[in-house]
This record gives sequence, C-alpha cells and structure tokens, in this order.
Amino acid sequence: MVALIIRRAFQLVFLLLGISFLVFSSMYIAPGDPASIIGGPTATASDIEAIEANLGLDRPFLVQYANYLGNAVQGDFGYSYQTSQPVGDAIAVRFPNTLKLAIASMIVAVIIGIITGLVSALKQNSLLDVSATTFALAGISIPNFWLGALLILVFAVNLQWLPVGGMSHPFYTVDGIKELILPAITLGTGSAAMIARMTRSSMLEVIRADYVRTARAKGVKEKNVIWIHTLKNAMIPIITVIGLNFGFLLGGTIITEKVFAINGVGRLMIDAIAARDFPMVQGSVLLVATLFVLVNLIVDIIYTYIDPRIKYD
Amino acid sequence: MKKQWLFLLVLIGMLILSACSGSTIPEGEETSGAGDAPASDGANEVVYASTSDAVGLSPTMTNDSVSSNVMTQIYENLFERNPETMELEPKLAESYENPDDLTWVIKLKEGIKFQDGTDFNAEAVKYSFDKLRDPATAAPRASLLEPVDTVTAIDETTVEIKTKYPYGPLLAALSHSNAAIISPTADEKQDLMQNPVGTGPFKFVSWNQGDEIVLEKNPDYWNGEVALDQVKFKVVPEISTAISMLQTGEVNFLDALPPEQISRIEGLENVEVTKQEGTPVYYLTFNHSRERNQNPDFRKAVASAVDRDAFVEKLNGLGVRSDSILGPKVFGYTEEADKAGTPYDPELAKQLVQENGFGNEPIKLLAANRDNFILMAEIVQSQLTEAGFKVEIETMEWATFLDTARGGEYDMTFLSWSNVTSDGSEMFYPNFHSDNVGNSNRAQYSNPEFDKLVEASRTTIVPEEREKFLAEANQFMLDDNAAIVMYHGVVTSATEKSIKGLKVDPNGQWSLANVKRE
Repeated sequence: MVALIIRRAFQLVFLLLGISFLVFSSMYIAPGDPASIIGGPTATASDIEAIEANLGLDRPFLVQYANYLGNAVQGDFGYSYQTSQPVGDAIAVRFPNTLKLAIASMIVAVIIGIITGLVSALKQNSLLDVSATTFALAGISIPNFWLGALLILVFAVNLQWLPVGGMSHPFYTVDGIKELILPAITLGTGSAAMIARMTRSSMLEVIRADYVRTARAKGVKEKNVIWIHTLKNAMIPIITVIGLNFGFLLGGTIITEKVFAINGVGRLMIDAIAARDFPMVQGSVLLVATLFVLVNLIVDIIYTYIDPRIKYD
Repeated sequence: MKKQWLFLLVLIGMLILSACSGSTIPEGEETSGAGDAPASDGANEVVYASTSDAVGLSPTMTNDSVSSNVMTQIYENLFERNPETMELEPKLAESYENPDDLTWVIKLKEGIKFQDGTDFNAEAVKYSFDKLRDPATAAPRASLLEPVDTVTAIDETTVEIKTKYPYGPLLAALSHSNAAIISPTADEKQDLMQNPVGTGPFKFVSWNQGDEIVLEKNPDYWNGEVALDQVKFKVVPEISTAISMLQTGEVNFLDALPPEQISRIEGLENVEVTKQEGTPVYYLTFNHSRERNQNPDFRKAVASAVDRDAFVEKLNGLGVRSDSILGPKVFGYTEEADKAGTPYDPELAKQLVQENGFGNEPIKLLAANRDNFILMAEIVQSQLTEAGFKVEIETMEWATFLDTARGGEYDMTFLSWSNVTSDGSEMFYPNFHSDNVGNSNRAQYSNPEFDKLVEASRTTIVPEEREKFLAEANQFMLDDNAAIVMYHGVVTSATEKSIKGLKVDPNGQWSLANVKRE
C-alpha cells in the first residue's frame, strides 16, 4: 500500500503540473481581459494599461507562468486580481463549507441509496422494487435548482422549520445541522439515486452467484447470507460510485451553493472564471484536482479491505 | 494492516474536524436561529442581500456597485447630490468658490474625525485625491480626476484644486463614490480593501469573504445620531432565494429588483416596494466605424423600426420611456427631448429598407448575457426582421462582451450607463466622444461637431451654460440617430415594513444613516 501511495503522489505532481499549464494557458487564450473587468466600462486606455502593469499582465505568457509556478511550489498561490486577497485564504474560508456540504450529502446519499438498492434487489419486481427504481430515476432526472427551490418554499418559507440559506454556524450545533438539511437532501438525492441503481444491479448479480447458493444450501442464516456473503462482495462497484460522487461534490456544487447561498468552492471558482481572476481559478482548480486524486486513492485503499485479493504492492 | 487503517481513519477524521470548525463565527457575535424566528426580529439592525460580493472596500481601488453600496455607509464625499432637487450640495465640504475658471477653493467642515480617530482635514483630502490620481496606484477610476492638475492643502480646512483646463463637472466627479475621502493614517497602516476607514455613519467590523460584511454604528458620527446598531451585507447569489429570505425575515432589504420577480415581491405581506425614476439608461447603438452604419438612412430605418413603447411595457413598470439620451434625473436633461427622437414608424422603416436594400446583408446584433440585454435583443430582432432587416443575435458573457465591444467587433449592440454622478457630460464624454473611441466609447462614435458641444459642456464652469450645451449635444445625437434609447431605469427597493426612512437615490445608491426600525 505504501508503494501505491508513493506512486499516486508522483502521479499527482505531474497531473497538477499538467493541469496548471492547461488552466493557465486556457485562461490566457480565453477572450476577456482581467484588467478591463476591473476597470469596468468607464476605464480609459491608460487606466487599463496601469492595471495590467500592476497585475504583471503586461509580461510575456511564459514569464507569467514560470513566476506563478515558482511561487506555487513554495506554497504561494498568488493574490486575487479582483480582491487582492491571498488565494489560499480565499479558498480556506470556503472549503470547509463545501466539505460540510459534501459529507452531509454523501451521508444522505449513502443511507438512502444503499437501503433503496438493497430493498429493491431483495424484493425484485415487487411494488417496493418498482417504487425504488422510480425514485432512482426521479432522483437522477430532477434538476437540483428545481428541487432546491421547492424544498425552500415548503420547509423554509411555508413551514418555517429550516432556514432558507446560508451556512454560518459550526456543523455540530443545532443551527449548523438545520442549515445543512435542505442542501444535503437537494444534493444527496442525485447521488442516492445513482448509488441505489448500482446497489441493486450489483446485488442482483452477486445474489445469483454459486457461493451464495452454496451458503444457503449449507443452512447459513438469511441475514448472514445478505450482509456477509452478498453485500460485502457487491460493494466494489458501489464504493466506486460513492467515491466518484464524493470527488465531484468536493469540487464544489455550483447550483446548490447558489440556490442555498452557501459560500463554497464551486461559487468561488465560477465567479473567478467570470471575472478572469486567473490566480483564483488556478488555485481552486488545483485544489479540486488534488482532492479528486486523494478520494480515488482512498477508494483504492478501501478496495483492499473489502476484497483482500486486491493487492497493489 | 489494521493499524494502518486506524491511523488513516484518525487522520481523515482530524482533517474533517479541523476543516469544518474553521468557519465558526466570531465570539460575541449574536447568533440567530433562522427558521425559529426571523433572524433580525427585534434587533436594531438591517440585513441587506446582494447577488454578488463586494470586490473590496477601498474607494480608490474599486469600481463596482456592490462595493460602492457598502462603502457609501463607511466613507463620505466632499459633495453629494440632493436626491430630491438633484443639485450638488456640500457634505464634508462647507462651501466652495472659483477665483478663476481653473481654480476651486473648497472650505471644509471642522471638527470631523475619521472612524480611527484621525482628523478629517485638508491634508486628508489631498492625500485621497493624489492617491486616486497617481498612476502608480492603478486606480480603476483614475479618470474621474484626470482634469485635475494639483491639489494643495492651503490650511487645515481649505483645499485648492487646480485643473488643467476649465472643468465644469468637477463637483459632480467629487461626489462619485470612488472619490470619497479616506483616512490617510489608516491607508498607510493597513489595506483599506479589507479594512476600510472613513468618516461615515457606520464603521467596519468584519468581512467573511463571499458570505457577509458586518458594519456597526459609528458612535461619534458628526452628522447626528445613527439609529441602527448594526448593518449586514449578505451575499445571496440567487435572487429567488433572496426573496424567500425577505419573506422569512432572514433578510430585510433588497434593491435592483428584476422585472420578472416584481409581482412576487409586491405580493409579500410584510414587504414594502418602492420605485422611482433613476439615472441608468439602456440603449441600442451602432458600431459607427462600420461603413453601412454611417449611412443616416440606415440608422433612421433602424430607429423607425424599433417599437420602444412595446419594450417598456414588458418591464412591469421598471422602465421609463423617453427618447432623450440624458434621462429625467440627469443634469442636462430637458423635457422637450422626451419625444425628440425618431418615432416608431414601421411603414417608413420598411420603405427605407426596400429602397436601399438594407435587408441584403445580415446585421450582427451583440448582446451581453446579463440584465435585460437578451430580452432587448430578442424583441429588437423581431421588430427589425418585420421591417425587412436580417438580424443575427450573438450573445456572450460579460468579460468577453467588454472586450468585443471595445474592439468594435459588432454591427449593433446594447449598452447601458448607470451615471453615478448624474451629470450629462459624464455620460457623453466617456461613451460618445472621439477621445475615447476604442475604450469606453464602444459605439466608436466620432463626430467633430458633437465633440465640440461635449467639450463646451465640460470646459465651462457655469452650470446654466453647461446645461445649454448638454441639451444641444443631446438633440444632436437624437437627430443623428446615433443611439436609440430603449428605456431609462427605475431604481427599486423592497424592505420589510418595520424599516423606516430608507430612500434609494436616483443613481441606485442609498445611505442607512437615517434609517431606523420600528
């Protein structure tokens, strides 16, 4: 496993290098200039030149990139063009919110997804199965902004049980949990649906395997057949889906963050792109890429626990 | 193996806990359980929501309306426009005089202090203006004071401003939120972008970037007791969420209401909506550097084909219909200009298109994908098509639009101007004077006769004369069909009924100095 981690760490370095170059060059090529956004419609040519010089945008592309890289290696990800705030600080403020939301949504998704998938596999073709698969289809098809707006209208505006939006309390307080419920359901439903479908199909595959029949023939209790012999062996694809979904959620979920006024990484990134705030875009993309790689590494490690035959060394 | 597992789990757990607890609110700050009861019920505060965060809180270094909304509560200017009479009146200044056309001697009010205890005096004014003008500062609105030659502190309460040429709109420029007076000691000590200090009714407390800015009452405010204890500026990117928050009391003040949501907001029982004529103008313009657009008949055909009344009706009362480029709340406006443009005449348009073959080549109609621009583009496209033109809409996001329009890569487009100083010269000079072609003059309009009128309106300091030149310049543009005004903006606010005394100025800005909760 140590070899796996070292190998991934190496891969990560090259991956980040590649991504940083890609992001830097695409932002450079993209139409729209940060100085004219800062200057706004009123800026004159000399205003814009002064702003460009101030931000170092008047230097050649490779010089800018080399400078950025040199600083980034030392942990300095630069300053936002828009707010002059250090990029690291801006991300550090927002990432906890994205992380809280991602974890809460995954909890919702895993609980609903696995239970629905299990029930639907064990009672195949029953009314329960049909309702569960319908739920899964709906969960995947309903757009987040619609579900979010609906939940706000029902639970925040009409019933007034939960706040409309925002995320300003620690997650372990009652207010903190209240703030998380609606966004986590909004975001978790889509993932829950995917997990449910994967659980169902994976369970159906394993449940017909010979060793399950053997276990039943030997008189193993049904409970043990399901939990030990079937579910554990069906977990590999489910864990993969959970891992991928979690990776995506950590990248920030622009629509849910917007609908619930959550100050997260997704919104930071999209605002930075709109404002051509290059250092901020770079910083947040690199963070997202790193997290994605880390989550996948964790998933790979979990595989070895679930299926001891898998070895990386 | 098991040990490794345990270690990994503990590590992940610690990471999560440390990350999640990073966003705890500062100690002592009042927490309010939204969902239990309206967040600010009973508290002597106002919570305002906007769809984006402020860029920064230094008047010198910013140029956006969200930042300016916050800064208006913290900083003040030498002069301000009276929203009722639209006359410029002294604020931090006491009076002024012009010994000659190039010199402005401004007497300052005495006994005013910045929120950090620094004295407000002539040196502070000089410091603020010199910083804004200094090319090394790279201030986005440095051009506001471009005509200024020198700023001198004559004594503790007298400042002398010398301009390079007689400059009529100087006082209007000094009333711009980006020309507010900053505390020199604070500016030398800290970054005002993050930690602002002015002379205004509220002082800065905290800023959780992307989430909220908190200000508190300035107990030593020079201009009377401030009623509110605290003001919060919350970022709520989705307007429908902000309206829900207004309904539940989590937020109690919104402005710049979008036309498509106005009926929902007006239907809320606990909310009062105000609307009044404002200074922003939204117009259709030609790229005057293109040959086809230089044909007066072509512009006349377009102007006759666009039914502006029909468009304004779609704005649910949030637009004022007038042909005049300078709106009713802008210095230089005259009532006669309201109907002085080319009237809607589809038959004449059709005839001109047919006679001149204007429909042979397609028109590229550029629209930024914000505000009402896309709606405008779609309606104008259908009206022009009816007259026989061929129109292709090209939409783009704001950053790309700014560059494309500045570079003149379009046939026709929609532009707007908020006109913070409410001065006509400040509309005509940046947007239509040939000095600014390729920059702020995105219409690429260049007409020596018009330039002369605009220059005359800027280089005389007698207001009555300036008004006359501006009216002439306005009429000149209308006769030339240089731009076709779609509508003049209406500034709006939606406040919880317990909030009293809030007035939105015609330029969309507002002060909470005299606002209270009942």
